[in-house]
Formats: sequence, C-alpha cells, structure tokens
Amino acid sequence: MITREKVDEYIDKIPPANEALRLTLHALAVGDLTKAAKIAKTDLALNGYLKGIVNKPIYGFRNEVNDVAQIFGILGVEASHQAVYNYMIQLLSPAKWHLFKLNRHSFADLQDKLTLGWVKILKHLNIKDQDLYNAITLLPASILVAEALFNERVDDVKLLRSVKNLDYNTILERLCGMNLFAICEAIALKWEMPVQIAHIVHLSSGLSELEASEQELLLGRWMHLLLFYELSQPLFIEAGLNDFIDFHPEFIADVYEEFTSLMEIA
Amino acid sequence: MRATVKNGIGIFSPQGFLDGNNSGAFLSIEDIEATLHLNIDMLLVSLKKVVFFNRNGLDTFVKMFAKMRNKSSTVTVGFCDYDKKKYEAIIKFYEKDINFSLFKTQEIAALFSSSFQNQNKNVLLYSDDKSQRAAMAIELHDYGHNPIIAQSFQEFKEKASNESAYDAIIDSSYLGQMGQKIATRVTGNAIIYTVSSFLDAEIGNSFNIAYHQNSLNVGFRLFIFDAYKVVSMNIHALNFFSRLSSSAAEYNATICFAGLTFEKIPLSFKETMEDAGIMFFDQMDDILQNKELLDELGASSAAAAKNIRTLNKVTVTELPHFIEATVATIEMMTNSEASKERAEIHDIRIENKEGMIASSIGFYGGIDGMVILVFPKEIAKKACELLMGEATDDMEQVLDSLAELVNIVGGKIKSLLYDHNVRVDITLPRTYKDIDALLEVAQERKGVQVDLKFDNDKFLFFLTR
Repeated sequence: MITREKVDEYIDKIPPANEALRLTLHALAVGDLTKAAKIAKTDLALNGYLKGIVNKPIYGFRNEVNDVAQIFGILGVEASHQAVYNYMIQLLSPAKWHLFKLNRHSFADLQDKLTLGWVKILKHLNIKDQDLYNAITLLPASILVAEALFNERVDDVKLLRSVKNLDYNTILERLCGMNLFAICEAIALKWEMPVQIAHIVHLSSGLSELEASEQELLLGRWMHLLLFYELSQPLFIEAGLNDFIDFHPEFIADVYEEFTSLMEIA
Repeated sequence: MRATVKNGIGIFSPQGFLDGNNSGAFLSIEDIEATLHLNIDMLLVSLKKVVFFNRNGLDTFVKMFAKMRNKSSTVTVGFCDYDKKKYEAIIKFYEKDINFSLFKTQEIAALFSSSFQNQNKNVLLYSDDKSQRAAMAIELHDYGHNPIIAQSFQEFKEKASNESAYDAIIDSSYLGQMGQKIATRVTGNAIIYTVSSFLDAEIGNSFNIAYHQNSLNVGFRLFIFDAYKVVSMNIHALNFFSRLSSSAAEYNATICFAGLTFEKIPLSFKETMEDAGIMFFDQMDDILQNKELLDELGASSAAAAKNIRTLNKVTVTELPHFIEATVATIEMMTNSEASKERAEIHDIRIENKEGMIASSIGFYGGIDGMVILVFPKEIAKKACELLMGEATDDMEQVLDSLAELVNIVGGKIKSLLYDHNVRVDITLPRTYKDIDALLEVAQERKGVQVDLKFDNDKFLFFLTR
C-alpha cells in the first residue's frame, strides 16, 4: 500500500524553502522585524497569507491591516516567526483533500487554533525560548503527510479500518518502518528548522523513544493533549481527524488537570 | 465515525474530549444508519481514549443505543473500557435510568456475547448491587462460564488478590437490557443454536434468521437446537419451528432438537414438529458422536449432502473479481506484488497438509458461494503482519488475524462486484487450524483452484459453492 520508496519520494518532492522565506526567517531569528518585513514583501504569496491570517476574527484586531511591516509589528517576533512557519507548512497543503474532509481554510483554522493554544501553554509554563514557540507549527504537517500518502488508497484504508482499529501512524509504521512524525522530522530538516522543533513534535506522538530532556518530554505531553483537545472540536471530528493517530491518555496523565484548568474545561 | 466489528461486537472508539458540543459530530446520520444495519450481537462505545466526558457528551451515544434496541431488541448496547472514576461518573449521570450496559473492559463484554460462549471461563464477579450480582451470574452461566460471586467487597478483594485463580475478574460493571440473542456455535458441519426457558413469539426476534439463511446458502445441512434448558413453549414457537423446518427442507437440511423434554409441553406439539420433519434426541452426543447418523443427516462432510451445488457460469464469470480482490488485499497488506500462477477446476487439492491453515468466507445475494484461502502457517503470519503488529507464535492470534484478512478480502469482493452491478453480502469469516478441519467442509466440492504467490511465497485460493 505504502512503501518506504514512496515515502522517500514524497520527502524528495518537498521543495526546499525559497530564498525569501529563508532570509525572512533569519531576520526574525535575530529579532530584526524591519528587515524581515522588507524581505517578506518580495514574496507575494507570503504577503497574501500574512494579510489573510492577521485579519481573521481569531486574532481579534479591529482594523484591517495590510502592510507586512505593520503585520509583523502587531504580531511581534514570536508570532511572526510562527506565522511564516505556518505558511511554509501550508504550502504542502493539497488543492483537494481526499482522505480528510478538509480544505485550505479549515486546515489553516487548525493551524491557528494549535498556535494560539500553544502560546497559551508556553506562557503558562513561563517558557520564552523562540524555537519552542515555533515547535507547534510543524505538528499539522503530520496531517498533510497522512493525506498525501494515503489519499490514493482511501477505500482500502477504510476497508482495513472497518476490520481493525488501526490509526494511520501505526499502519505506516508497520508497512514501511517510518511513522508520520519521523516524516515531519525529515521535512523540518529539509527546511532547516531548528532540531529542537522536530524533536518535540516527535515526542508529541506519545510513542517516541527519543532521548529527551525533562522539559522536552513535558512539552511533548502538553502538545499531545493540545492536539487531541483541538481534534475533539466538531469541525475536525467531522473531517475524520479524531482518530488519525492514537491518543495516549496515560502519556498525558501528569499534565491533564493543569491543562483542563488552563483551558477552562468544565 | 464508524464502528469496528469483530466477532459480532461493534465498537466505537472516540478519542479526546466528549461533550455536548462535539458528540453529535462523532455520529452523523449516515453513521447511525450504517450502525443500525450491522449484523451484530453487541454495540459498545469504548471510553479508553476519552479523557473527559459529561452527560451531554454521552447522551448522543445513549440515543443511538435506544435506536439500535428499537430496531433489534437482541442487541446488547453500552459503554466499555473505563476506570472506576469514569464508571462512577456514568452511574451518577444516569442514576436509575440506565438501560444500557457497562463493561469495564472489552474482554469482560465478550464474556456476555454469544460469539464467545462455551469457553468455560472461571469468572470472579462483584457488584455492590445484589440484583446485578445475580443477573451477571445467570448470564455468565447461560453463556457457559463458571461464575464465582463475591458477596462483599472484602471477599472480592481477598479473592481477587489471587488473580491467577480466575480467567476473568468482573467489577465496576452493570448489565442493562441484555441481548438475549440465541447463541450460535458451529461444530464440524452442524450449527448448534442454544435456546432456553419459555419459548414464545419472541423467538422470531431473537433468532438470527439472516445467519441461518446464510448458513443454508453456504452449505450447512444440519441444525441442532440445544434445548436442555427449555421449560416450555407455546403455539407461536411451535409455528416458528415448523416453518423453519419446512424452509430448511428446500435445501435438504435437517433440524433436530437435543434435550427437549415434554413434561410441560403438549405431546401434540411433538407430533406436529415431527410431521414438519424435525427430529428429537435425548442427548447432544446421540447426534454428534454417531458418525453414521451424521452422514445420513448431511453433517459429516459436504459430500454427504444430497444437493451439492455445482459451480455455475455466473460465478465463474466473476472469477477475475475474486482473484483481483484477493491479490489487491494481499498486496495492500504486504506491500509486495502478488500474482496468479495457474487456475484449474476440480475439487480442492492440497498436496502437503502439514503446517497449513485456512480461512473461508461465504457470500450470497446476486451470486453465492464461498472463498477459501489456504496458507502455510509462516506465510499466513507474513500476510497478516500489518494486522498483528508484532511477531507471534500464538496460534489463536494468527487465526484471528487470518479471519480479519479474509474479512478484508470479502469486503473487497463485495465492493468490486458492486462496481459491476452484482450485489452480495458476506458471512462472518471462519478459520481452520488444520487442513482436515477444512476438508470436512470443502472436500469433494468442485471449484476453481488458483495458485497465488507474493514474494515467492505460495498460497492457495479456492472458489466454490
């Protein structure tokens, strides 16, 4: 169904980050918003994306913002950085979804919700490391990878899953020895994202055997729970995302109470 | 979200958070419709991966349970896979209004399912509700298990500390309205139905007529009612059995009763049933241990049945779809290329029977017949790797996975034939731990035998009627 060759082919086909994106990210990494905005303006698609997200109700700005420098100024370094990474992930989004009932907008909604939830968590944990803030941007890539790899075999996968309750991650791992999160890691490396980003996303699978610091493991737990909190929203359940990977309640047991209190879950 | 079905138990497995806002999204109208059409004994919602739920969140599923029970009162419905905290929350939410069941684990639920009956398990059980203790004990006993009731929590704790003394330990469980479906088991070529207590018009609801019909279609010719526990029956039940026997006669099949006493049943009923062709035996072994009688009744092998149906042109015409479904499934499951070697029409021929296992699935509707797959055990394990996950020598697990594999083949056949305007339904898969067991069913049946291979590993496909 899905071979290691097919996975490698998929990773090979992912284009490297273009020059404008790389330079924008470098400028953001050193906190130079003016320079970053100047470079970002040269990428029209990125421009359009930034205008689109910043004017969404979820960000709560009263007036329409159109200038990239203004957008970066409003968002600040951390959120601007996340926005550019989210844009890069969205470049992988298919024009038409087959496996999951999603579209570009609903996928972007998920990215936004995860990003805002993650910022809330890191602020609660009093963590200020920029790379850790950016880590959440890679997580939705796991959904894109599943869509890309399984979309031609939707009926077969449904038939298989009607007989045995296997999630996409397990199917992939058993078929070719590589899971969705390892593929995300490969994407991160290709885009020269900091290693720690890939590391935390890998840990958030709840299955990773990677060696990790206490803080990384803790963040992996919060990210796993945040993902399932968002995938329990009606839009994403209807999209078929609730059971795309296995949820591990035992993995998040230590942070569950704190999470429900932070997210004000009654 | 769709339920996964295995051994007659359908299971929904939501994950994450379950509340009034999202629970409707788990079950679309199509999902509920599809669930209502499942031919299952039990429908459960697993709470294993649900970290948060409230009453509104559970209500959507409880409403579906009610719909399922309205459609078929023989289906047991409820929740499973929870800890004590979740159990207490559900009891508190619904208090005295619980008309569904609660099973701490899926394994406990299976003890109350007809598919797992007669496994003779030693089961320690405890409930602080005395009537629940009794109800569970009766049900377990009915399903052929040996319940040991702890009368107090203290007694339960003491007994449960010796875990190895029991096959299963039940607590934090609750029996709502039970399925009371007629239990079914297969012995060789005979199908045994277990009936008990007073038989009345309800038998028409609790007897799985579709299963019976499919069994006739795939060649079963002897049906035995295990009636040791029947106290009495009324005219409605009498009419039901008479009609059942008449329809079985069209297939040259026989219906027998074992252990039925006529102390509280009018003797005229017996005469009427005998006139309809039903036979009576004092003991089950009077039938099952009498090879000559089994031959006569058509149960020792399909060859003994008087009306073996030959493979017809319609079925052979669809052969490419059957092969395609098998090849595609094996390719999907193994990531390797599968191919057909040769095809011949004759009775099933297996040169080396040693170390071979098999699985079959029947289909009926637009066309009918049976697909049999025969594998060397090691090759079967390889073909089922995706389903099993890890290497195992546990024969039960291998056969279980092989049944899942052949179920996927059956599903694929169904969908391929549907694309060609042929509608069929499939039966439950059956497995055979050795070739002798298979030959009891398939010997001397003519069919198309196709040698298939993947990764140079050979296996056998046989299509018959």
